[in-house]
Amino acid sequence: MAGQTSVPAPSSRLQEIVSDSNRIEELSDTDNEYADEYEDVGTVVDQHEAANMAYINSMISPIRDSLETETSITQDETLAVVLPFLEGNPNDFLLNTFGLPKLQREKHAAFLHQALGDYPAQMAAMDAARPWLVYWSLQGLTALGYDISDMRDRIVETFLPSQHPDGGYGGGHGQLPHLAATYAAVLSLVMAGGTTAYESVNRKSMWHYLGRMKQVDGGFTMAPGGEEDIRGAFCALVVMSLLNIPLDLPPDAPARAHGMTTFLDKLGEWVSRCQTFEGGISAAPGNEAHGAYAFCGLGCLSIMGPPTETLNKYFDMPLLLHWLSSRQCSPEGGYNGRTNKLVDGCYSHWVGSCWPLVEAAVGKEVSNRSALARYILSAAQHKKGGLIDKPGKRADAYHTCYNLAGLSAAQHKNVYDEATAPDIGKSELGAPFGWKVDGLFEGERVWGDEDFVEEVHPIFVIPYQAAEDCRRYFEAKEGF
Amino acid sequence: MAPTFYHDDPKWSNIKPIPQNDTARPLAAIAYTDEYSEAMSYLRAVMAKNEYSHRVLGLTDHIISMNPAHYTIWLYRFKVLSELHADLREEIAWLNVTALKHLKNYQIWHHRQTVIDKLGSPEGEADFIATMLQQDTKNYHVWSYRQFLVQRFGLFDDEGELKWTEGMIEEDVRNNSAWNHRYFLVFGGKGEQTADKAIVERELNYAKAAIKKAPQNQSSWNYLRGVVRRNKLPTSTLKDFALEFADIEKPDDVTSSYALDTLADIYTEYQSKREEAKKALDLLATRYDPVRAHYWNYRKRLLE
Ligand SMILES: [Zn+2]
Repeated sequence: MAGQTSVPAPSSRLQEIVSDSNRIEELSDTDNEYADEYEDVGTVVDQHEAANMAYINSMISPIRDSLETETSITQDETLAVVLPFLEGNPNDFLLNTFGLPKLQREKHAAFLHQALGDYPAQMAAMDAARPWLVYWSLQGLTALGYDISDMRDRIVETFLPSQHPDGGYGGGHGQLPHLAATYAAVLSLVMAGGTTAYESVNRKSMWHYLGRMKQVDGGFTMAPGGEEDIRGAFCALVVMSLLNIPLDLPPDAPARAHGMTTFLDKLGEWVSRCQTFEGGISAAPGNEAHGAYAFCGLGCLSIMGPPTETLNKYFDMPLLLHWLSSRQCSPEGGYNGRTNKLVDGCYSHWVGSCWPLVEAAVGKEVSNRSALARYILSAAQHKKGGLIDKPGKRADAYHTCYNLAGLSAAQHKNVYDEATAPDIGKSELGAPFGWKVDGLFEGERVWGDEDFVEEVHPIFVIPYQAAEDCRRYFEAKEGF
Repeated sequence: MAPTFYHDDPKWSNIKPIPQNDTARPLAAIAYTDEYSEAMSYLRAVMAKNEYSHRVLGLTDHIISMNPAHYTIWLYRFKVLSELHADLREEIAWLNVTALKHLKNYQIWHHRQTVIDKLGSPEGEADFIATMLQQDTKNYHVWSYRQFLVQRFGLFDDEGELKWTEGMIEEDVRNNSAWNHRYFLVFGGKGEQTADKAIVERELNYAKAAIKKAPQNQSSWNYLRGVVRRNKLPTSTLKDFALEFADIEKPDDVTSSYALDTLADIYTEYQSKREEAKKALDLLATRYDPVRAHYWNYRKRLLE
């Protein structure tokens, strides 16, 4: 989500690609841990490289316009940076049986553990985004198969001061409640699990806070007096579904004065208005279609009801499918977020994880999972641990979390199971609990057995079990 | 610059700061400087008693200079400005300088939006945005802000706005944000209302001319297809145009995969042209756009 994060707006990266001297520094970094091994398997490596190059060549479209513009120039420069990683192995990682770098599990875990630790004073810009740092890191660790239960108490304690007396969570103590912070805090607490974590959330004041965010046009603002965009709608529904918050607006919700009675009033229509002429989904009606907002829109509708119903009802699906498949960059295989923008590892999730939701609605597999996985394994792993936007970029918890979530969505078959969904208990927003993993992806695999990421819930983006445990807890609970 | 402190400032002697009450072992803790930490403690204290004053305005300046990504400060600052009935023109002047220092900051745009909304005039904004876009031509927040201005001040049919957008597309015909803005200008204010025939014609011609400059550019094709769809024209309206760039009878001479895609849609509309549609989709899957082979094959299966 392009929220309260230090992640630069996608387009501002253009500049960095061209001018960032860090890139040169990092690319030429040659402390070669696997030097000996590399020499031993030299011929095998060459074979792999030849195979990779053949694959890349088969993915390149033969059409190329001669007109040069800023877009085509940065695109060419990006490809020049990415290509060596797709073809060869500049990081000297150990390779899997498909000739691609193995998932650097231990390195990524070490990076994420560090991301949960202390930050120096220069990182004050992250002061409002601390819940995000915690969520991304915890989610990344669980995706890598690490147990986070030893951190349970610390997770609960971390969020105690950031819960606002009027409901919801802010970035830290004394900060105003914000839906992005609330989303990240609640997901972290649900991942921690257990009565203390669940009970640390004041659900009654949360209900009132969410009521204040509901707008008369159907959408949600992120904060009191804050911006209204599709992240608000998605974050609010995620929190409501997991915590089993009543669907009726609280009596003090301003939207009630305009005749609204529930959180879902006009919401589907509002989300529908975010679909653009390109087929993708924008932050708010009229804005440009964008991958991160697409996931929010699809997620929001998939919480409102079974995706088979809600997506087909509120979106032009053929157009959405067209736009979504257009996000896959050729020959890079990873996704971009908008038409004519650059590939970026975080869209492995924002776009990649749209696919299970969309495929549930159309009943077919349409995405190219192998090409995406190639990009993640070959180009989005940082030599020193953590995952990245693209080669030359620094690793951060955000890109680590979302590359891994995208890889998980590529490796597993997440399906919406009509049969499970109906007997879900009293939850009013129970549809997201109708998902399950139905085995592994059966198409062309490029990951080895040791490169698997854990199953990730396609809407909540936390472990399935954590979501399920939370649902059971609050379903069994009477009142707030 | 020497750090600013409040504890020994007589103007602040009546405030008892509220320190950050983090627990013993918080995750992702930041080792704040004493300056930042103290300023935040004073902010928590004035927010707790809903103080809206000139000294608080100064405090928000100070914190923003240390952390412009702090949404709470921005939201509170706006409240202070409103309660003080401050001169919002002055605020915009201050923002102009601040925005250039923090190009990538999101909060600043929402703040600007609320200030301009209250001020009730977009005067000077177009120039400011143009300066910002020079640094980053596809900045999502800047474009979204521009759309807010159009909506708020009814600039949908504004000649100048359309000309400016054309200039942006002229500069880089692949700038999708500029195309999106054009669509918003021309059709965004109309709702379900049908557009003038002349305007639809003008837009079709505009997109076609852009495609001729760079046929393998999805922005202009999406626009063209969007105009056709929005105005309920049959896709076959584009048949002759698409054939200039792709013809399934001449599979070696395709100069735009988007033309091929358009032809596939056109043939799909006719029961008798199913084979032609399949042929176009095959060319996309196997030759002209192989990374999306699954998608093209899916479209093919829909024909069966
Ligand atoms: Zn990214």
